[in-house]
Amino acid sequence: MSYCQRPPVPDYRPKPVHGRLFSGLSHARGGPVKTMKSGLFIATATLYGIACILYLTLLTRRSDSMRRLPGLVFVSALGAHLAFLMLESPPPGDIPLADISQILSISSLGIGIAFLLASYRFDVTVLGAFMVPVALMLFLASGLGSSYAPVSPPVEDAVLTLHIGANILGLVAFALAFGAGVAYVLQERLLRRRQLSGLFQRLPSLDVLDTIGLRAVLTGFPLLTFGMVTGTFWLLRTDGSEFYVSQLLGLLAWAIFAAVIVLRVAAGWQGRKAALGTIMGFVCTLLVLAGYVVRAAGGSA
Amino acid sequence: MRDFVVVGLSHRTAPVEVRERLAVAPERLEDELKEISARGSFDEALLISTCNRVELYATSANPAEAVRSARHTLGSRLPDDASEDVLYTERGVAVVRHAFRVASSLDSMVVGEPQILGQVKEAYDAARSAGTAGPLLGRCFSQAFSTAKRIRNETGIAQGTVSVSSIACELAKKIFGNLDGRRTLLLGAGDMGETAARSLRQTGTQLHVINRSEERAEKLASSCGGRPVPYERLTTELAEADVVIASTASSKFILTPELMKGVVRSRRHRPLFIIDIAVPRDVDPRVGTMDNVFVYDVDDLQQVAEENLAVRAREANQAERIIEEEVASFLTWRRSLELAPTIVALRKQFGDVADEELRRALSRLQNLNPSDRAVLEAMARSLVNKLLHQPMIQLKAGAAEADGAQLIDTVRRLFAITDDDSGGTETSIEAGDEANVTQLTAAAASGPTGESK
Repeated sequence: MSYCQRPPVPDYRPKPVHGRLFSGLSHARGGPVKTMKSGLFIATATLYGIACILYLTLLTRRSDSMRRLPGLVFVSALGAHLAFLMLESPPPGDIPLADISQILSISSLGIGIAFLLASYRFDVTVLGAFMVPVALMLFLASGLGSSYAPVSPPVEDAVLTLHIGANILGLVAFALAFGAGVAYVLQERLLRRRQLSGLFQRLPSLDVLDTIGLRAVLTGFPLLTFGMVTGTFWLLRTDGSEFYVSQLLGLLAWAIFAAVIVLRVAAGWQGRKAALGTIMGFVCTLLVLAGYVVRAAGGSA
Repeated sequence: MRDFVVVGLSHRTAPVEVRERLAVAPERLEDELKEISARGSFDEALLISTCNRVELYATSANPAEAVRSARHTLGSRLPDDASEDVLYTERGVAVVRHAFRVASSLDSMVVGEPQILGQVKEAYDAARSAGTAGPLLGRCFSQAFSTAKRIRNETGIAQGTVSVSSIACELAKKIFGNLDGRRTLLLGAGDMGETAARSLRQTGTQLHVINRSEERAEKLASSCGGRPVPYERLTTELAEADVVIASTASSKFILTPELMKGVVRSRRHRPLFIIDIAVPRDVDPRVGTMDNVFVYDVDDLQQVAEENLAVRAREANQAERIIEEEVASFLTWRRSLELAPTIVALRKQFGDVADEELRRALSRLQNLNPSDRAVLEAMARSLVNKLLHQPMIQLKAGAAEADGAQLIDTVRRLFAITDDDSGGTETSIEAGDEANVTQLTAAAASGPTGESK
């Protein structure tokens, strides 16, 4: 018997995908750069996806044997994402944050980084199960935008850049508050229903979750306020009342977060209600973003 | 051939009155071991003594004699009315398995409890400082420790607490995070309440004690390190506490929704954890539905304890599998200490060096005639044989002595002989291995029959 003739090794590498899905990733450049970008995009999305699944399994696993794995995968996803952004970034001279796709992509990266910082500071690795899916969703949305047009008119206004920057940072902070809020609501429910094994053991204490939620909302709120003010200012300077629904939703999100903060400070309103308020506020901010995406998609059609 | 034996009794075989007669205080372990090994016919000895078990582990070249001696040592301390049936005996590989199971808390009264590992470590340290733990027990117990650690990490056997007061503590931690500086209010003077308050006090909370009888409150407070508070201050105290343990003898609800509504408002909705240990209950069930108020009663806690026990029982199956893996790996090591494979490996190592050098020399000495070559080859062989002659004699003689295993281990380390070197290549070693396995297991299986001779 001889082992000389081995069967051919199957090629497991993902085949580069060309298609409608990623055709919008680069507006101008084509050729090898484009292929590389789609490759990086798929790699990043896959890594995010795997990290997502790993964080979710971490929630339910009993043993600690795989504790480090999700973090490793997630950090490599962030690395791939960063590389992807560098390829994507406009040539020097152009202003970043040029289109909604990039805004989504950078928000996704920011949420990832915020999660890493929080899990380092508070030892809340399990929050990945709630935050990494959000990051993945935003990242996928950034790539799905085959038809996203650049934000029109092109962002060349400092006020608009400030508006977008502040809102991205605010979104990141609220995403953290959202993760903590979801975990709080879950944990509180488990505690009341006396389901104290498995998931209950994995989730952090109510106190830690409440603290993270409060601090994140307190950080995000001024940013959101600043974003709203600059946005309104910019709208007034251009001409008007175009983004009707988005503005309303933005105002609603702002009002919800304002209420959460005021009630927390004034009435000591903490725990489940505050967490639910935070979740609602974050969903509203996501809807604002979704509004822009729809508008951008519709705009080019 | 040296083998392991263990003789002991535990909660499975003996009631507490018998166990306590044999128990040895930790500080007495060392002296006791010295005494035992001076009298008994053991090569190595180790004594584990906890409130649930007393076990004497030993190795001896004459296992049957060692068992008799160990049974005599422990048997002589039994109370007069207790029969020797409470003592169990294991030999051979069963001892290793037993040691692994004990250290991993699979043989404990409460499976998965964490204290036993520390107690076994203490026992091992005592044996080491008494000089009665040699290479075999040393290897056996250090692997028992790593097995215990592995089981703790890879299975859920240690997860979830199973005593009511530690469950209360764990829940408090899940609500408040750090308990340092939090305040516990003990309401009433039931026994269970006191136990729970004590465990909470140990986690760093302040303790206030409130009771209708001020005298009783004072007594209780001083006994568990708390502060007595007059009963009139109940509402204020409720507003300031984080954990409330209710265990009064009252037949009516004391913490009613009406009372608690005011309390929740004045504590500005800070979370409150109420543990209702009293029967009949002190806390109106409706209080448990209020926001940021969490109420657990005795039944809830008991149920958690039972669930955790059930989980542990399930996880124990997986732990047993790990034990078998570790026992197998221990046996591999044990076999590697046998003489024959070591000698073969040593000879092979030296022979390989000689062959290699011979080949290099011959390739440089091109114009040798066959008889010259033969001389050189004979010289190389003879060098190896002569160099190995004395070490082999010493090794064979030393292996038969008490610390033989250690000698073989040293030689193997000195010449970097691993299992792959000695196993698998030659059929004779394979056969030797098989023989040893059977000897180890057969010794375990024969058990008591061996003693009767």
